[in-house]
This record gives sequence, structure tokens and C-alpha cells, in this order.
Amino acid sequence: MSERIGLFADLHSNLEAFEACISKAEELGVTRMVFLGDLIGYNADPAILIERISELVESKKAIAILGNHDEALFKDCRNQMNASANAAIEWTKTQLNNSHVQFIKNLPLIVYEQNICFVHASAHNPSDWNYVTDSMSAWRCAQSSGKSYTFVGHAHEQALFYQSAVGKLIRFAPHPGDDIPVLQHRQWVGVVGSLGQPRDGNPEACFAVFEPDAQALTFHRVPYDHFLAADKVRRAGLPEDLANRLLTGK
Amino acid sequence: MSPNTDIEAVDDIFQEGKVVDGFVLGKEVHRGGMASLFSASKEGMDVPILLKIPRVGKDQPVESLIGFETELTILRALKSPYVPKFLGAGNMAKHPYIAMERVEGRPLEDFIKEGKAFTIDEVIRIGADLAQAVQSLHSQDAIHLDIKPENILIDDKGKLTLIDFGLSHHARYPDLLAEEMRKGVGSAPYISPEQVAGIRSDSRSDIYSIGAIMYELLTGELPFGNPQTMGGLRKRMWAEPFPPRAIRREIPRWLQEVILRCLEPQAADRYQSAARLRQVLRDPEAVALTERSDRVEPPSFWENLKGMFRAAGYEPSPSPRPSMGSYDAPLMIAAIDTRTSDKALRERMQLTAKNLLLAYPESRLVCLSTISSTPTFEGHQENETASGIVRGHLVQLMEWAKPLKLPPERVSYHVLEAMDPASRIVEFAKDNDASLILIGASHKSPNKVTPWRTSMTKIVEEAPCSVHIVRT
Repeated sequence: MSERIGLFADLHSNLEAFEACISKAEELGVTRMVFLGDLIGYNADPAILIERISELVESKKAIAILGNHDEALFKDCRNQMNASANAAIEWTKTQLNNSHVQFIKNLPLIVYEQNICFVHASAHNPSDWNYVTDSMSAWRCAQSSGKSYTFVGHAHEQALFYQSAVGKLIRFAPHPGDDIPVLQHRQWVGVVGSLGQPRDGNPEACFAVFEPDAQALTFHRVPYDHFLAADKVRRAGLPEDLANRLLTGK
Repeated sequence: MSPNTDIEAVDDIFQEGKVVDGFVLGKEVHRGGMASLFSASKEGMDVPILLKIPRVGKDQPVESLIGFETELTILRALKSPYVPKFLGAGNMAKHPYIAMERVEGRPLEDFIKEGKAFTIDEVIRIGADLAQAVQSLHSQDAIHLDIKPENILIDDKGKLTLIDFGLSHHARYPDLLAEEMRKGVGSAPYISPEQVAGIRSDSRSDIYSIGAIMYELLTGELPFGNPQTMGGLRKRMWAEPFPPRAIRREIPRWLQEVILRCLEPQAADRYQSAARLRQVLRDPEAVALTERSDRVEPPSFWENLKGMFRAAGYEPSPSPRPSMGSYDAPLMIAAIDTRTSDKALRERMQLTAKNLLLAYPESRLVCLSTISSTPTFEGHQENETASGIVRGHLVQLMEWAKPLKLPPERVSYHVLEAMDPASRIVEFAKDNDASLILIGASHKSPNKVTPWRTSMTKIVEEAPCSVHIVRT
């Protein structure tokens, strides 16, 4: 059976979005999953989300990568994040037990497979958390990865960077649900978009599916109960603006 | 990046008699610079099949690979009766090919080379059919960008098919040819000025190409020749083509108007949608004649010089999304019930139509009425015959539209025979790529409410476009 990889990034403790995306991915026949970092932060369900993901990882159905918010659990990153993000990390720490933290600590920074590279921010100095947002940053990422396909998160908006006739990487804004042929003789950097905190003005959760044999990549948007997720953020006593972000998608 | 070296051996894989992914290869039917074409067959597929194999590997141009990828992406996504059906593709790394329906017909280019003299009516029909084919691409957000006689197949019934999407653009897929350094990729005689400037996202480029082809078929000349240099290619950014009527006097003025408008240097000065171009070609009375239709002499030295100065700062018009063409030059349908006379509703509908037409200067109104069926016998009175009845309704439609004071090119009248008016209106809207259906709903006819509501619900549910319901 040919492989179908579900790609999920920036889940940020959003259980409602996670469940909606996983169920959609299963419907689409995903054969394995890759969680591209930032499993926690911002929203209200860190513990249960880590448990779900660690179960998937243990049963070899998924791999998970470390993100900067995950790293902030065990490393002082306060000057690199804004006040709300820091407040959320401090709150998250109170919600997790040792085994949760241990799971996060053991996550790899970057994973290379035969033709694919998975990393949270950029394959170019992954621990510096560089954003892939433009032609230049995408080119650096593709150069460092050296693979045909590099899948990242960190930047919350879905984008596909592709190598043009002149070698330069060009940004393309994908249309959800369209199968995009991504032929392996050129380099592609897919920014799969945020599952747990979309910021492009559309509150629907983002993920993507890559089919290596068919050489096709499809970006998806999934509606979920973002009112409930926002309500949980508020009830947990997290900063109000984090709840509002889920409602507006900004 | 260099093309994968594994694909060097394609010539060994693709030979007559060999089988690739179930496709049994037949004869090589064509060998071009970029690709070879083989006839093929496959069990379970009862259509004739064509396999297109890119010329890749050492010493082959990289363009042939990019063109192949582009065609694969776009052909796979398109659904159109004017495009060969996509039937499958091979692994790009091991045995790249595109399998498609083998369409009957000969390239328009062959007819031109044979020296066929095209009648005015033939050219009008080819132009209108081309516009319709191109519209079917544009409405799916694709632009062909290489419309030329070589890429247009015509079968014995005159049906036309567009082929070769190697240079095309699709707004929903990455454009692999974007930011290509060599400007003006395409076929010199037919590409638009904005293509010369390197723009690949303007659907009105295809409208330019249709104009160039009609010009060639009518006059035997190319509007700007077949330049081989950048300077030569840039001429179309400023020059006026030699007026077709100066070469062939019998060309009607309206047709010269249409062709020269297609060939305007600025995309914003051309017809804004292929659907609109088709409408004017099928309904010459709708063409507003301007100075373009009067030209009989080539532009003077001074006019050319002025044009050259303008072109020095040639700024291509901004490109709207291809499928948006019909929004800028929308066709609106006013479905008018000629059998009832509700003055308040009538005035409200007229006002709504007027406002909508004001908002879109290129828009057009079709006043539509349906009648159940015309008698098969011919009565003695004029108002008893089929044509008499239709004429009666047409007069009412014209009366209806009179207060709008529209110039003839912006309004037309149709009386359609239909047992089921709603389906007929929806069908008409689909056939004509309409953007809006305007219908009136009166509160005054309670006893008729049920059938009327069913009809309206049906239009709202099935219409391919927006539906504006006018209420009193």
C-alpha cells in the first residue's frame, strides 16, 4: 500500500483542532503521521495532547519533532517569546507531570528520511528557529536539508515554496483540497500551517497530506469547535488574547 | 538542480510494441523538439490513446522537462470538452509520460500551410469556437498562453480542441515557469505584449492570441510578423497593426473592430473575457463601432512615434484572476414574466437592472422570457403562428427594457420555449456563462404561489451563478 503522510504542525495544546484534523486525516487514509513541533503552548490541553501523541509515537504510527515552545518547557527561552506565549508556557508547566516533560525532552530537532526532511522551523540551523517565510529563507532551508522535500511548521500560514526554472524558490499560496503535483527532481519546502492557532484570518485548522509515490501534496483546512477551544483557554485563566486568536484566526 | 539522470533511457522504454503501465505502445506519430507522441491502447479504455513522452536526458533542453511537468499538472486538473482527456501519467523519474485521449482532427496550421482561403464566416466561427474553448479554461482558473494554429485541432465536423499546455498557467498550482529569465517565451507571432514583458497570469493574453489568429486567417498576414528579436517582439506594445480591411476589403467593419480590440497593447483595452468575445462574434449587432472599425490606412509615422514613446514606459495592466474575467464583463439575465403585469415589481426590477448595469461598464443584459410551447399548426392570424407568438413576447421584452436606455450592444432579447421554465433558464445561464440571474417575486399572486415558489427554488438551487431576487 502506498504511503500517505499526515503532516501536522504548531498544534499548541488545541485538543479540539487536533481531534478534528486527525479524524479528517484518517478519513483520507493517512498511513502515518508526522507532528512537526510546537505540540504545546498557547492553548488549554497540553497534557492530554502529549498523551495522545506519545501513544501514536510508541505504536510507531507517528513521529514527533521538537518545536521552540516545546523546548521552552525545559530551557529558558523567555526573551525569545512574547508575554502571552511566556504566560502560557508557565501555565503549561503546572499542567504536566514528569513523564510528559520527559517525552518532550526526548523529541528530535530534525529527522531525515531518504528523500524527505522534517523539522519544526527551518533545516538551516534548526535550533535557531528561523522562519521560512520568503524566497531567501526557503532557499536556505532547502539548501541545508539537501532533500527533495522539506516539511516545516513554525510560520503559521500554509505555503509551498518550489524551485523555479531559474533555481530560485518561489512562494505559492495553496488552495485547500487541491492535489499539487510535487515532482521529486526539484526541491520543495512545504509550510503545513498551524493546526492549533491559525493566523491567516481563517479559524479553520491546518494540516497537509503528502503522498510520496504519487508525488502529490494536498493542503487541508478543517473546521472545528473553536468556540469550545477558546472557552477552555479563558476558563484555564490563560491570557484573553489567546482565546480571541482562536475565534478570529488572527 | 539537474534533471534526474535515470531518465536518460526513455528512448529504450518507449518503443512500438512495448508495454508501460498497461499502455501498449503503437506507432510513433510525431516527434517534436520537446516531446514524442505515440499512439497507444489499454485494456478497459475504449478511447484512442496518445502517449506524450518528453525529450529528456543529456543534450535535451531543460524546458522540455518543465513544459512536461507544467502540462501534466494542468491537463490533469482540467475538465473541458475542448481539451484532450487526461488518462494517466508515468513515474517522472523512471518513465515519464502523459497518457491522454487521442483527439481527431488536424491542426489549424495545416490548413494555413495548404493555402486554404478562409471565408469571413469560417473565421468568425473559428474565432467564436476558440473563444468558447478558451473560456472553458479561464473559468477553471487556467490560461493557455500558447494559443496558436499549431495547437488548435479541428475535426471534420469543425469541432475544435486545444492542445499543448506546456506553457500554460493555472492559478491554483505553482507556476514552474514563473520568473523565467528569458522573457517572451511562446510563439512570437501570437503572444501578447504582456507575455513579451514576462507576465504569465493574465487571461486576456489568450484573447490577444485569438485576435492574432483571426487576423492571420482573414488576411494571410501576421499582425506583427514573426519577429526573432526582443526589439521586434516589443513592437506590439506600441504599434497599431495594419488594418485588416486595408488588406481584404470585404471584411466587415465590425469584425475589424473586434480583431483590433483583441490586439490592443493594454489588456485592459481588450475584451475582458473570452465569453464576451464569443458573444460579440455571434451577435455582430452588439459590437460598438469605434475609430478602430474605420481604419483603412496604416498608422502614420507620427502616430507610430507617439506609440513608441508610450511603449517606452509600457506597464502591463494588472492581471485579474482568470475566472474573474466574467465578473468584470458580466452577463446578467433578467428573467421576465411577460404573462403577468405587476407594475410595482416591474419598476423595481428595472431599477435593479439599471443599477447593476451602471456598476459594471462592460456588463450586458439579456432579457429572457419563457413560453410553454408554440402551436404546431399555423393559424390564420399572425398572432396565432409560432413566430407571431414569439415576436409578441419579444416586443414585450423590448418594452420592458426601454426605460433602461441601453445601447444595442449591451442588451439582447430571447424568448425560450420550455415546458419547465426554471430548468431552461438555468441551462441558458450555463451555456452563456452568465454571472447573475435577476428574477422578480411578487407578493400579489397568492393563488400562484406554489408553482412559482418551486420554480424560484429550482433556479436558486441549480443556477451556476448568483441569483438576485427582486421583491416588492
